[in-house]
Amino acid sequence: MSQAELSLTDPLGRPRQSLLLSKRATRAKQVASLAGRSVLFLITSSSVLAVLFIFYYIAQDALPFFRLRGAGEFFTSSEWYPSAEPASFGSLSMFFGSGIVTLGASLVAVPLGVAAAVCLSDVLPFGVRQLAKPVIEMLAAIPSVAYGFFALVVFAPLLQERGGAMLEVAAYVIGGPLAFLAAVVLADLTSSRAPEKARWAGRIVAFLLFGGAMAFGLVALGGMLRGLPIDSGTNALNASIILGIMALPTVVSVSEDALQAAGRDLREGSYALGATRAETILRVVIPASASGICAAVILGVMRAVGETMVVWMASGNAAQIPSPWYDLTAPVRTLTATIAGDMGEADHVTGSARYHVLFAMALSLLAISFVLNLASEGATRRARRKLGH
Amino acid sequence: MQLGTRKLLDRAFSGLGICSILLLAAALLIILAPMAGRGWRAFLFRGTVEYRRMMLERFQRGDREAIEAEEAQAAKARQGAFDILAAYEKEVAALGFLERRTRQDDLEKVRDCMRDLLGPLPGEERPVLPRDQYGQTRWDRAKAKLDRLLLVETYDYSDPTKMGVKVMVPRVDRFKGTALEPLFTTVPEHLEAMMLPRVEFYWRFLFDVSHDAHFFGGVWPEMLGTIYLTVGAMLFAVPMGVVAAIYLVEFAHEGRVVSILRTFISTLAGVPSIVFGLFGLAFFINTLGVSGSKSVLAGSLTLALLVLPTVIRAAEEAIRAVPQTYKEAALSLGASRWRTVVTVMLPAALPGILTGIVISMGRAAGETAPIIFTAAVSVGKPLGLGETLSQPTPALPWNIYNLCSEHAEVNEIRHVQYGMVLTLVLLVLFLNAAAIILRARISKKLRG
Repeated sequence: MSQAELSLTDPLGRPRQSLLLSKRATRAKQVASLAGRSVLFLITSSSVLAVLFIFYYIAQDALPFFRLRGAGEFFTSSEWYPSAEPASFGSLSMFFGSGIVTLGASLVAVPLGVAAAVCLSDVLPFGVRQLAKPVIEMLAAIPSVAYGFFALVVFAPLLQERGGAMLEVAAYVIGGPLAFLAAVVLADLTSSRAPEKARWAGRIVAFLLFGGAMAFGLVALGGMLRGLPIDSGTNALNASIILGIMALPTVVSVSEDALQAAGRDLREGSYALGATRAETILRVVIPASASGICAAVILGVMRAVGETMVVWMASGNAAQIPSPWYDLTAPVRTLTATIAGDMGEADHVTGSARYHVLFAMALSLLAISFVLNLASEGATRRARRKLGH
Repeated sequence: MQLGTRKLLDRAFSGLGICSILLLAAALLIILAPMAGRGWRAFLFRGTVEYRRMMLERFQRGDREAIEAEEAQAAKARQGAFDILAAYEKEVAALGFLERRTRQDDLEKVRDCMRDLLGPLPGEERPVLPRDQYGQTRWDRAKAKLDRLLLVETYDYSDPTKMGVKVMVPRVDRFKGTALEPLFTTVPEHLEAMMLPRVEFYWRFLFDVSHDAHFFGGVWPEMLGTIYLTVGAMLFAVPMGVVAAIYLVEFAHEGRVVSILRTFISTLAGVPSIVFGLFGLAFFINTLGVSGSKSVLAGSLTLALLVLPTVIRAAEEAIRAVPQTYKEAALSLGASRWRTVVTVMLPAALPGILTGIVISMGRAAGETAPIIFTAAVSVGKPLGLGETLSQPTPALPWNIYNLCSEHAEVNEIRHVQYGMVLTLVLLVLFLNAAAIILRARISKKLRG
């Protein structure tokens, strides 16, 4: 490079533009940058604003209900007769319905989801995992109304006609292998104290004893399930199963992330001590990532609590607390389905308790999901701290 | 524990995991199979001569002369059945008062079934409802209706301890030895000649308006409504989401403010969808008054809020994934921070941002609860672009719900329901597949 090109003056000797900006130019730039930044900040905070507005506007329409009717009836009574004279707005059965359906959904989603996550992160080879991912993504992508349609049009008639037989088969398929394993382990544990010579014989005898008892129990359970009367296919069981499948992708992907975050060194340390893969995962990896898995479960529960279409279409919409309360074959009604279903009728009577009670339910839902969200955030944060990230 | 037992447990554990993955795949298959297996029948089916007449009269499609010739041919085949009916009517009219009354009831039921199957009987006035003006337009429905003519559903209460058991009794038993008896052999024998079924490929299912509450026609108003709502939601959510992501990644200092921002964003993501619907009603419609009542605009705004957190997260991840070296190179060339973001970071992050947008579109297209109170109606015509500001629209997810649980004749229009579900699921899965392919290409590119 020649000297001329590097010089600060042009060939005519005039100074080239200074590399240093003038004070005014710098200040203008700073102001512009600050202004731009503030605009960005404002736009970003619009999501904060949205959350605050949601709380404000839902509460604004919910409070008139509590002013009109008080809070006692809403939370403690299960008499839901909003259009009767005099009307009663006891929503306990809706809270119960949301709760039981969510509980059922987590019974489906949590064991399956965590097992699938463990398998994805620790058992399957990379290639198979790449195949399994799209399956989970597709499950997450199917619209809730399509799940609801399946529950109402395909699953409900099936459940009504051969629900008992289906439950029986499910009990055998799930319970059979588990009972076998439990019998083997129990036999091993009880015979381990026996003297060397009698050990094998003791194990076989113990296995036969435990296995027989479990087979008997399983057959009794199957018989009971087969005889289960299912009056209507749209019930808490139907909604729970479908909701559980819907919540699965969330549970799987979040807990897989948590398991991955536990790190390789932890696993290798455990293997070096002679543990099998199952022992490593159960005793080392899962305890280490417990907070993350907890967050996954909470997120799955949130999805189930807030879901509308599936429960509206599949749960039967009967505002009642079934007796006994754990009877999943009874139709129930959830908060979300009540809001969705009753708004059409309450719309013309804006300002009445009938209209505002739905906002009171929405406010309760909002509060529940807010608390759950804080809990899951806390769990995630704890997980991060624990693993030292 | 014995080593053998431990090994067994280990195997069982792996097996359990693999079983659960297989169960996931099975669940996906079981849920998609009926939709795919019955959904295509909305598009490809055996249509009868009634179908072609309906198409001609309602949609002005088909060759008028050929259809009239077909109708004449079918009418000739039907004449025999109608003659038997007329003969029996004469026979009944000649009976005494009491017997005539009992016979009249049964006869009326037969006439009902015939009307259902073949359309208005000869000499009757043209009914008001379009669904009554035509016989069965689909061959599968015609066969179902034939069963209703031939068999009577009764309940057997012979066992007092149980609920009544449904039994099907041949209807012909009630007419043994009367002039009507041959009808029950004539109709099944000549049904094909009466209806002239032919394979029809109705691809216009997607682009036709519907007549008479989805008895005839397609799902265009619903498709269009869903497209409007989705695109509208993206118009609001994408700029806000991308800007927020840029701020969070490039300009914000990790600290208290940002952690509060993140908490609020995740709270927004956790708000139940039905609450979004109520909020849309209370805020956009009742407070801001963006439209007098439900409108596409209000629905789009509500959906935009719903997908905003997804867009922010996806865009944030995409911008973070751009290698730091790009940024450093741009800055060292003397570009300002703004310039770096706009000309270097955003173009590099664009495919990732697009992936997030496409996934959010799928979510917005399938959501039902937020649009129930803000945008959706059960019946409507396709809207023009200008009308979206003030008019509500039918939309695929809402109409799926509506047709399968609030429609008066749920069983008559199963094919439309399945067709609609298939359309929506394919739409959403197509968007997701696009996102998956896009992402695969990005990761290939980043790997070099």
